[in-house]
Formats: sequence, structure tokens, C-alpha cells
Amino acid sequence: MTDVDLGSLIGGALLAAAAVVLVAFPFLREPDLPPERDTLAHLTPLERRRLELAERRDRALAALKELELDHRAGKISDEDYRFLVGPLRQEAAAALRALEAEAGLGRKAGVPAAR
Amino acid sequence: MARTRSPARLVVALGVAAALAVFLLYTSLAGGGTPQLQPGDLRGRTGTVQLTGRVVGPVRGDAYAGGLRFRLRDIAGPASVPVVYTGTVPDLFRAGRHILIEGQLRDGVFVAKPGSMITKCPSKYRPASQGAGS
Amino acid sequence: MAELGRAALVVCLGLSAYALLAGVLAARHGRRRLALSARNAVVASFLAALVASGVLLAALLGRDFSNSYVASYTSTKLPFQYTVSAFWGGQEGSLLFWLLVLTGYSAFAVLLNRRHEDVIAWTVPVLAAVQLFFSLLLVAVASPFATQPPPLEGRGLNPSLQNPYMAAHPPFLYLGFVGLTVPFAFAVGALLARRGDELWIVLTRRWTLAAWTFLGVGQLLGAKWAYEEIGWGGYYGWDPVENAALMPWLAATAYLHSVMVQEKKGMLKVWNVSLVTLAFALSLFGTFLTRSGVVNSIHSFTQSSIGSWFLGFIVLVVVFSIGLILRRLPLLRARTRLESPVSREAAFLYNNLLLVALTLTILWGVVFPLVSEAARGEAVTVGRPYYNFFLRVFGLPLLLLMGLGPLVAWRRASLRSLARALAWPGAAAIATGALLVALGAGSYVPGLVAYTFSAFVLASIAVEVVKGTQARRAVSGAGWGQALVELVGRNRRRYGGYVVHAAVVLLAIGVASSSGYQTVREGRLRPGQSLAVGGYELRYQGLTRRWVENRREDRVLVAASRDGKEVALLRPGKNRYPVEAFFSTEVAIRTDWLTGEDLYVVADQIDADGTVYLKVFVMPLVSLIWLSGAVFVAGSLLAMWPDRREARRLAQRYVQPGALARA
Repeated sequence: MTDVDLGSLIGGALLAAAAVVLVAFPFLREPDLPPERDTLAHLTPLERRRLELAERRDRALAALKELELDHRAGKISDEDYRFLVGPLRQEAAAALRALEAEAGLGRKAGVPAAR
Repeated sequence: MARTRSPARLVVALGVAAALAVFLLYTSLAGGGTPQLQPGDLRGRTGTVQLTGRVVGPVRGDAYAGGLRFRLRDIAGPASVPVVYTGTVPDLFRAGRHILIEGQLRDGVFVAKPGSMITKCPSKYRPASQGAGS
Repeated sequence: MAELGRAALVVCLGLSAYALLAGVLAARHGRRRLALSARNAVVASFLAALVASGVLLAALLGRDFSNSYVASYTSTKLPFQYTVSAFWGGQEGSLLFWLLVLTGYSAFAVLLNRRHEDVIAWTVPVLAAVQLFFSLLLVAVASPFATQPPPLEGRGLNPSLQNPYMAAHPPFLYLGFVGLTVPFAFAVGALLARRGDELWIVLTRRWTLAAWTFLGVGQLLGAKWAYEEIGWGGYYGWDPVENAALMPWLAATAYLHSVMVQEKKGMLKVWNVSLVTLAFALSLFGTFLTRSGVVNSIHSFTQSSIGSWFLGFIVLVVVFSIGLILRRLPLLRARTRLESPVSREAAFLYNNLLLVALTLTILWGVVFPLVSEAARGEAVTVGRPYYNFFLRVFGLPLLLLMGLGPLVAWRRASLRSLARALAWPGAAAIATGALLVALGAGSYVPGLVAYTFSAFVLASIAVEVVKGTQARRAVSGAGWGQALVELVGRNRRRYGGYVVHAAVVLLAIGVASSSGYQTVREGRLRPGQSLAVGGYELRYQGLTRRWVENRREDRVLVAASRDGKEVALLRPGKNRYPVEAFFSTEVAIRTDWLTGEDLYVVADQIDADGTVYLKVFVMPLVSLIWLSGAVFVAGSLLAMWPDRREARRLAQRYVQPGALARA
């Protein structure tokens, strides 16, 4: 009976120790971090805008790709294709242009361009 | 291009309305459901009900010839009613078991719908579900 | 060792509480080290849960009857695999299993996505909150480490649960239920972090798919068990406990479709967050139904106080989520809108409406007895007809939509192009319908409709594949086989989806055939007499009785023949377990692999004088149901398969927050 209790005790102690170490680890690793540098990263407004534009661009490009695929597979008639492709291309171009503009603004502000 | 309200809202609204209409139509036509009662509440009820209670022996008869006869008692009470049952008898069935049967009260005897008996196994977390589901 | 188990659970509780508090503080004030510490606490809680699980497993395998749980669910004679499966066979153990999977998933999810600091900072406390709930239950309400003076023998596991399907059924279900926590946590985390973009969807896509697949397979396992073990001639009884798994699965199916719309059009953001909350809440509700004994079901379990805990937590989750969504509504405004009711977006919308309508009607059917009891003092239950009706009303159009969806273009489809796309599949469907009517399938109209729609869907998928391969060939000049492989490889999600649709079609055909076109006959037989059912002739040859291990097996020898040729010797019967004072009906099933038909024989009653009462079912195409499970998994795997190009593109889009500022 005694070694069962001992086993539990040791096991419990080990687990508690491991938990404490894991939880304290970030503080142990960088103990003297000044509060200005101990900040959680968050999206800057610039990044937010770029993200939105990037999503718009990707959506337009993906829609174009799917349109091409469906047209080539014959699911969409030539007539429908011509009707749909124009606005999609415009949207993609607009999104690309807007992203370029953001990058340009960013470059002026000294921020490196995102891809 | 004229500014039109998004058809999405209209589609959703129509869809919800349609689903609701179907639902209400069905429940009003097909009726509510089957009430679940214990033998003590059975007095005077003539419609089809689900009776739940404990089996009281002696259990006589043959479920496939003439019917199995026993009494069904309230889970926690003295009221009981005679039952006659035909059809598949679940394995767990015996005196003292908690069962569920569907049927009607006729001349003081509860005549069960054939095959509608379901037994419940008490207290185990995952008991065998025994039932001849219709 | 019970002390270690209890201690591990307390450690897990403490870590979860810390992760919640520290996580919220860190996220609100932007403290990086504290956020990392909270994240590590989540990882550590997995270790704690692992230790606790190890202790329970050791106690089970060691037949340690001083542990009340072990004594309640095992015995010295219980085979190894069922001793292991007893881990999740009872209330306390299954809660621990849930906690183990939850902490495991959480640790994995937060570590894998640690790059996205802002979202993870808020996801951590959400996961921690759920972990806190389950650890609290395990520590305070339902501990698997309660001790007692050890009895000589355990109570043993219910014999009809000693079945491989029943052993595997709960783990699969739990991997599914718990898996729905991850997308929920990321959705809430993204909202709390004030992000209105798609990151949370992108990060949790495979999680959701995996959880949904596990949940689907788990249900099929349960159905197979019911079919083989319970022996009432069916596989789904619309019992509340069965519905408890179906509802979150349907909600998750709706969610999987609607996120595609958000991805492509940036619409339905509010709807998606609400749906994932619904799926998560339903998964909690499902386990609440199963445990609390609140709803009268043939699976009614212990009436325990644990029900009110679950109910309270579910209410908390729902209220919090609704509040959060309302507060972040401006963030979730759609950029684009639905342009035409005849478009693929609209098809997805109809799909969602139907799935949610079906889910809600099932939910209503489940809670109706409670509602009526509260309102009228009398519990009123809805039966099979209710569920069957709505399954048809909502399910059959869904089946049709599966075929229509791929044929309709995004944004807007002209009716002319739609009509042209419909030509081949429509013709196939009508031809199939006509053929089936000629074969006599008109006797059961919903079945006929299901078949016709199924033919439509399969034809539509076939047309997709053929046309796509043709197009691919035109581009790459490869042969048919190579082109197909390339096509599927480049469009894994789409073609994975098609395979899953094909699985659903197989399921629909299997269900419609085996329930709508089954033949049932029953009768009393004396030795030597025969019963003719659906093309088979069954001759009662005699009785056998033998003792195996802890049971007495009474078997009825039935020779089944077809067209005068004997095809099988079936042995339906009953097992009698004297120690557990338990009877079980053993069904005899003969599967014809060529036709997928099952001959299902139940020995309802064996009389002392040798007369038997047999009930025989002939179930056409029932094997398709089990086959659909395999196809379903294959399709999901294909859809989940990593795509390096897509991964790279997404990594470029979702840079680490602050990366631009810091660089």
C-alpha cells in the first residue's frame, strides 16, 4: 500500500512541477522584458486594409479561375461566359490596383511591401 | 443599375415561411403525438396512449397465441391495469421491469399495439436498448 | 493510485482556470508573456488529462475493484478489448474521455496556429472555459476515481455492449462532438480579437471536416450495432439519443457548405458564426440528453444532477455567443450580396435552409415531451411518422439539390444554360424512374422519388467528372487516366465533395430500399416446416443448445434456399446469461454480397415443445448503407488532403500580425 501512495505522491508532484514550469516558462525565458516590448501582436490598420484587399483579390482570382474551368468543361455557355467574365476581370483588376496603391502608400511610409 | 434590395433576404424569408408552413400543416393534420401516461392516469382515457410502468406478475399466456397477459403498475404507486400484449417480446421483459407499451384501454383492459413493447434497463449508463421499434 | 488520478484532475482544473483568467487578461491588455503562459497552461492541461486517463486505464486493466467505476463496468472475465472500452462505457469515464480529447485537440490547435497571436490569444480562454466546465464536473460531480472496499468481482459490462461496433461507437462520436469545439473557439476568438476576416475559417477547415467525418462514422457504427445486436429489424429508431448525434452532424453539414459561400463571396458571415455556435451547442446538448435521463428514451440513463450542470453551461454558451455576435455585428457586414435566386450561392442557401429546418424539427421532436409536460402536465411523444415525414419533406429536396448545385454557375445562371446542363442528368433520372416503375418500385412513392433523385445526382457527378477530365486533357494533352488524376489533384476539395455526395446517395438508396421495399413475414413453425419470404424458402430443421463461456446459446437451425438451392444455414436464437440474469436475442443475418440484400431472421420465441416463432425480413440493398460509410471517409480524406500551393497562398495572405511593422 505504501508504495502505491508514494507512487501517487511522486507522480502528482512531477505533474504539478511540470505544469508550473510550462506556465512560468515565458516569464523565465524573458524575465526582464520592459512592458513596451511585452505586447501582443495585433493587426495594424494598414495590415487590416491589406488583408481585406488581399481577400478580395484572391476571391476575384479564384472566381475567374473557376469560371475558366467551368467554361472549358462546357458547363457555362460562351454567351454566359462573356457576360460573366467582364465584371470578374474588372473586380480582380480593381483589387490588384487597390493593393498596389496600399503598397505604394506603405512604401512612402517606409513599410516594406507585403506580397 | 437600380438599387435593388438583396434577394437573399427574400429567399431566406420565403424559405423559412415555407418550412414553417409545412411544419404547422403537418402537426395540425397529423395531430400532436402520443401522450405518455402511467396506469394511474389511465382512468377513462380512450385514445391511443403510451403506457409506462412496472410489470407485475404472474405473466401468463403466449405473445403469439392469444396474447401475453400481465398487470402494469405505476412506477411509484399502487395503481395498476391489466394488459394484453401480442407481438415481439423484448429479451429484458420480466416481472419488475420498467416497460413502455402503446395501445388503448378497452373494457378495463389495456390492449397493446402488436410489437410496441420497449423495455428500459434501470441505472446502468448504457444499457441494452431492447425494443421492437415499429 | 486513485489519489494520483484525482490530483491530476485537480491540476487540470487549476490549469484551465488559470488559462481562462490569464488568457482574458493577456488578450485584453495585450500582454505577450501572459498570453504565452495561458497557452502553455492549455498544453499542460492535456498532460494532466493524459495522466488521469493513464491512471484509469491502469486501474481497468489491473481489474482494480477498489475503484468504484472499474467495479461497476468490468469483471475478471471481461475480455481485454471490452475492459479497455469500459473506459468510455460509463458516465464518469466517458467524461474523462471527453476531457482527454478536448485538451488534446486544444493543445494541438493552439500550438499549430501559434503564429496568429491575436486570434490565439482569445481562442485560448474560450477553449479553457470549456475545459474548465468538464474538469469541474470530473472533480466535483462525477469522479472516475471514487474508491470503495474492493468486492471480489465486478458487475461486468452489459453483454450486448460487448460488441466491436459498440466499443468503437463512443470514441468516434466523441472525436466528432469534441472536434466541433475547435471551430467554435476560433470563431469566438476571432470575434473577440475584432477580426472580421476569414482566418478562423481557414485555420479550422480541416478540423471541422475531421470532426464531421468522425461524427458521421460514429453514427453508422451505432446503426450497425443496432441492426445486428438489437434485432428489431432496423438501424435507426429516432430515439432521442440517436437524434442527439444526428442534430450536430446536420448543423455541421450546413456549416461546411455555408463557409464555402463566405470564402468565395464574403457573404453570410453572421450566419456562419451562428451556425458553428449552433453545432457546438447541439453537441453539448446531445451529450446532455444522453446523460441526464431528462427525456424518456429507451436508452434512459441514470437520473442524475449532471443534467442541470450541462443545461446551465449550454445556456451560458448560447447567451454569450449571441451577445458577442450582436456586439460585433458591424465587423461582420457582408461586402457582396446574393444576386440571383438561381445561382450556386442560392443553392447553398437553400441547402442550408433545408438542413437547418430538418435539424430544428428533430430538435422539436426531441424536446416536445418536455415542453408538453411543462405546459399540460402530460408528456406527449412524437413517433416515427413525424420524423419520417420531415426527413422526406426536407431530405428529398436536399438530395435533388446535391445534383443541381454543381450544374448551376456562381453569381447568376441563365435558365437556358441551366436547362442545357440539366439535359443529361435529367434524362438519366427520368429513364431510371421509368425503369423502376416498370420493375414495380412505384409501390412506395418516397422510395421511387429517392431513387430518381439519386440517379440524377450520380449522373450529374459523372457529367462533371467527364467534362472536367476532357477539359484537363485539352490543356495538358495527357491521356484520360492521367488527366483525371491531375484534375482531382488540382481540385481536391471539389472532387472530395463529389465523392462525399456519392456516399450520401448510396446511403439514401440503401435506406430507401431497405425500409421501403423490405419484405417481412412471420410465422409459427414446427420442425420440418417452411416459411417463404421474398424469394427465399426457410426450413426449420431443429434446435441446438450449448454452453459457451458464461452463456447458454439456444439456436434455431434454419436452412435458407433460393430457387431450390440451399444458400445458407442460419442460426438465429437467444443467449441466456445466468449470472447476469440476462437474455439477448441473436439475429442471424445472411448478406448476399452480389445484390447487397440481407436475409434477416429473428427467433422471437422458442417454445418448450420445439415450436418456434420466426420473424423474417428481406432487406434489399441494405449493404449500401455500410458501404456509404467507406465512401464517405474516402471523400473526406480527399477533401482534407494537404495542398501545398493553396497552403502557400494562404500563408502569404495571413501574415503574422505586426510583421509589417516589425520588419
